[in-house]
Amino acid sequence: MTITHTLNLDYQLQPGWLEPYVQGLLQGNAVARSCSACKKISFPPVRVCACNSTSGEWVGLSGEAHIVSRCDGSDGSYALVQFKGADTRAVVQLKGMVQLKGMVQLKGMAESSQVGYLQAPESGSPALILAPASGESCE
Amino acid sequence: MAQIKAIVCGVGITAFNRRTDGSSFRDWALAAFEDALSMSSLERPDIDALIVASESDFFSLQLNPASVLAGDLGLIGASTMRVEGGGASGQLAVQAGVRLIQSGAIRHVAVVGVDPSASQLSAQTVKSLYSFSFDAWVDGMTGVSSTVLYALSFQSFMNRVAVNSHHLGQVTRQNRANAMHNPRAHLGRLHKQPEIDESPMIATPYRRLHCSPLSDGAASVILSAPKHRPGKRKNAPAIVGAGAASDTVHLGARSDAGEFAAKRLAMQRACREAGITAKQINIAEVYDAYAGAQLQAIDALGLSSDICRDLDDGCFSPGGNCPINLSGGLMGQGAPVGATGVAQTATCALLLEGLYEKELQPVSLPRYAVADTHGGICTTAAVTLLAGAAA
Repeated sequence: MTITHTLNLDYQLQPGWLEPYVQGLLQGNAVARSCSACKKISFPPVRVCACNSTSGEWVGLSGEAHIVSRCDGSDGSYALVQFKGADTRAVVQLKGMVQLKGMVQLKGMAESSQVGYLQAPESGSPALILAPASGESCE
Repeated sequence: MAQIKAIVCGVGITAFNRRTDGSSFRDWALAAFEDALSMSSLERPDIDALIVASESDFFSLQLNPASVLAGDLGLIGASTMRVEGGGASGQLAVQAGVRLIQSGAIRHVAVVGVDPSASQLSAQTVKSLYSFSFDAWVDGMTGVSSTVLYALSFQSFMNRVAVNSHHLGQVTRQNRANAMHNPRAHLGRLHKQPEIDESPMIATPYRRLHCSPLSDGAASVILSAPKHRPGKRKNAPAIVGAGAASDTVHLGARSDAGEFAAKRLAMQRACREAGITAKQINIAEVYDAYAGAQLQAIDALGLSSDICRDLDDGCFSPGGNCPINLSGGLMGQGAPVGATGVAQTATCALLLEGLYEKELQPVSLPRYAVADTHGGICTTAAVTLLAGAAA
């Protein structure tokens, strides 16, 4: 026998210090953190910089990113990407970006096919989604 | 000679599998604890503290599980706490036990790791919960799965170390073959390479057979202060070093997304405490949530200067210089999260004492063993070093 129990949880998460980042993502904008001390820019934002500085300011990026490596499969298509202007990398979901056959990385691919742009999520969740420029399809 | 921090005077490991017999995590915890207690030759009133490792209340639907298990295990009156550090929960609980003993306030501590990761929720639900093991506000909201993060990390590792899908196959076949001789294992199999190559792609380069399963189960160790070593356990192995460390939670913020830097640091701390080096280790139980994670662990722990050569030479196989995951590891033995780190320590202790499964027990007693566990994408790392009586 089993004890059957259903639990429905409806979270109302407060973004706290991440609010500028979350608000930006929901509108399709990349809002990064710039360290006041060393000027390194993190996206997604890091609260305490690698240089140990705790102060920083929010800066907007263009939203353009190039794919460093990607993986595809039943869990979907995701990539480690470098946003233009950022000093850190990000893991993003790929939508409509070219899917390689038998390769795990984009070595040797044309530069243009490695570039995508941050896209506003369709859901209300602050997801990092990379897609081709409007009107361009890579798939 | 390494200084003894705590004696491992009793161990117990239940079967790791998907339970369909109506038993609950409370039954498995009791079974593992009673085996450990029996081996220790101690009695319940001797146990001063209970530490429970459990990754998530979502799995068990039980907040404060230590309070419930204290009653079920007959340890009312003992001090209780729960330790959680994602996949590292079990190893962190063992280390918490060691630190309690080192404080001098505790004679004997029972560490129990348990999680119902397979039978109580659907696999899809557990997978969704696991995606919040990273930065829930960033990776979780993006829908990044555990397999995706491990795959991207391993791709970066492949840029630095010349490993490939052939080596993933070697690890997969070896761990599952080891598990064939472990009666408690979830996935003992004799895989052929085409079977691995044809299993569904989850996230390149990881196919389904490169991944560890979701399992139910429990494990327990009884740790004693050296001056309170039970008289009947004169040859019991000891914990001689423990180290833990952390890394940034965002894979992209790391200088090398393929390096398990927290594991490297935890190992350095454990070795410093033990006064030994990685080269002295004869046996390893490492955290192989995925086949590539085992290769990344070998690198970070410093167990090899040439992973490909040592794999091909059989150094990590039974009978090799440093057999790895003789239990089958997470890939073969299984992965009830809170129990995994405790089971790794228990397995190392049994191997050091010559009491492990006959087909897997090395002919000559190993001197030193390492139990290595991590949580997240090696965001939280815990490494424990054990020594046998021969050390």
